[in-house]
Amino acid sequence: MTIALQLSGVKKSFGNTEIIRGVDLAIPQGERHAIIGPNGAGKSTLFNLVSGRFPVSAGSVRLNGEEIAGLKPFQINRKGLSRSFQITNIFHNLSVFENLRCAVLWSLGYKYSFWHRLEALRDARARAEEVMESIGLAPRRARPAGLLTYAEQRALEIGITIAGGAGVILLDEPTAGMSRSETDHVVALVRRVTEGKTLVMVEHDMGVVFGLADKISVLVYGEVLATGTPEEIRANAAVREAYLGKEAGHA
Amino acid sequence: MRYQPLNLGRWILWGGMALLMAVLPLVFTQGFAISLLSQMGIAIIFTLSYNMLLGQSGMLSFGHAVYSGLGAYIAVHVLNMASKGQLWMPVSLLPLVGGLAGAFFGVLFGYVTTKRAGTTFAMITLGIGELVFSCSLMFPEFFGGEGGITTNRVFGKPFLGLSFGPAIQVYYLIALWCLASMALMFAWAHTPLGRIANAVRDNPERAEFVGYDTQKVRWLTLIISAFFAGIAGALGCINFEIVTAENVSAVRSGGVLLAAFIGGVGFFFGPIVGACLFVYFVVALSDHTKAWLLYLGLFFMLMVMFAPGGIASLVMMQLPVIARGRFKELLPHYGRTGAAGLLLLAAVVLTVEMTYKISVDSANGTVMKLLGVEFDAAGAGPWALAGALWLVGGGLFYGGWRRLAHAWGEIQADIAGAGT
Repeated sequence: MTIALQLSGVKKSFGNTEIIRGVDLAIPQGERHAIIGPNGAGKSTLFNLVSGRFPVSAGSVRLNGEEIAGLKPFQINRKGLSRSFQITNIFHNLSVFENLRCAVLWSLGYKYSFWHRLEALRDARARAEEVMESIGLAPRRARPAGLLTYAEQRALEIGITIAGGAGVILLDEPTAGMSRSETDHVVALVRRVTEGKTLVMVEHDMGVVFGLADKISVLVYGEVLATGTPEEIRANAAVREAYLGKEAGHA
Repeated sequence: MRYQPLNLGRWILWGGMALLMAVLPLVFTQGFAISLLSQMGIAIIFTLSYNMLLGQSGMLSFGHAVYSGLGAYIAVHVLNMASKGQLWMPVSLLPLVGGLAGAFFGVLFGYVTTKRAGTTFAMITLGIGELVFSCSLMFPEFFGGEGGITTNRVFGKPFLGLSFGPAIQVYYLIALWCLASMALMFAWAHTPLGRIANAVRDNPERAEFVGYDTQKVRWLTLIISAFFAGIAGALGCINFEIVTAENVSAVRSGGVLLAAFIGGVGFFFGPIVGACLFVYFVVALSDHTKAWLLYLGLFFMLMVMFAPGGIASLVMMQLPVIARGRFKELLPHYGRTGAAGLLLLAAVVLTVEMTYKISVDSANGTVMKLLGVEFDAAGAGPWALAGALWLVGGGLFYGGWRRLAHAWGEIQADIAGAGT
């Protein structure tokens, strides 16, 4: 079993406040791993550390065995890790199609080219159209991303994240702020587009977590309280006490 | 955006542009017109290169004249050396020298300025601009001090009958370079780097998370932009046969910002319109009135307040209305509001010109001439007329504007309703 993403002793402090207090995680290739925990537990911060948005204060992050702590976001992305954001982070003035095409250019090796004509790059167009199709935004092809509905923007957010073909996908609350039917739609979408990939997901909706994840880690006050299968987590007394207490019935 | 292998409309547009540039000097043959057209061609290149930064990549630069100016200085020295026979350089290829010089300084200064985006970038460009301008006074051997560096573009034997002595030959040289630069800059906007520059403008953070080093995107874009700015600088050197410190000054940097903004930074053709208008203001209007700068400032202010997308956005707003065949409903409103606007403009001009006459130019008496009519600026009559123009024009404009806004709103609502 190859480990796709391994965190050992990862710590992060802002000033004197330690937000992440030594996290160890090993996520095997192809696993769908959910990170849950109460508000302020440091879930998003953990994502920011892994994806290079913030530097870690201590510890190591390995992607497919290679140390990535201390690298810039674009360097980490090039090594095959891609992430989405809790607050929609898209290219607002560009069309849906252009958003996706921008997201595939680097992975197809076009880098900073100013000697290729975009329209002549069939592979970039084909890949962008394929992703557009799979996230269900083909009918919105030419619409500026800023004018999409919230649910459509969230789908585009996921599309941009997976378009480059990264092997490890980090999704930060993909269903935040969505209705029941929209959530079901996103769950199906995530399941489809992360087929054969390693998925790490922060999520609040327990229905989504227990329906989608192979393994779950519970993060409380910057520490991993427990890691296990959904059944193990459901049965874990410490978790029930710390976090699921109120929501156990719902889940 | 449909995929069109053979984009006929685009060919017609570019062909028409080339034809227009070829024919214009045959229609307007006076020396003044040729000079105006030449300056417009140079300004188009310069403003488009500026908009690669501002409109396409979201970099607000206050020091773009550094690249055109230093390009011009290098070009003027190379031209002088060529005319002394120290090196071989045909005048027609001199813009390439300017361009490469611009790009060189783009590599140098751009490395510093593009470290950061946004306000920090703007501040650093301002600093670099001041730095280079102060250098122009510190190193008179290179910059020529206050007098600048003069040159003579005519040397050696005419090549293919071209000596570049007559202004018309220079115009066509500028037109050719202008056309080529426009085409190349348009092409750049449709390359991977061009599109990623748009992405960096919209959301630099997200661009980093799809694999792009935003700093490098900005730097490369700035170098290419500086290349075209340098071409404009060298063409200016050929056209005027002098390069002074004004070429690298903040005034020049501010001017190109004004031109780009007036034309509209959101569309490729915006800066072209802006450059032509700006040159018209600077060159033609300054011949007619001392208050031209005031008119330019006023115009800029109005544009920023009421049409922040520039003239290009005003034009593009009409397209969906025209496409639905409802433009004719707006025409009478445009006519009425436009006529009222002209009255207001007359009021502004009369007031400004009389004020100038009395406060600045009263030593020569207060009798002045406007549109062929002679009158005394100190008299009560003209002032009463100006007041009346303000009142009547303002009232009519207000009414016309409200009805126009109403009609516009209705059409927009219909369009939006039909769209969903």
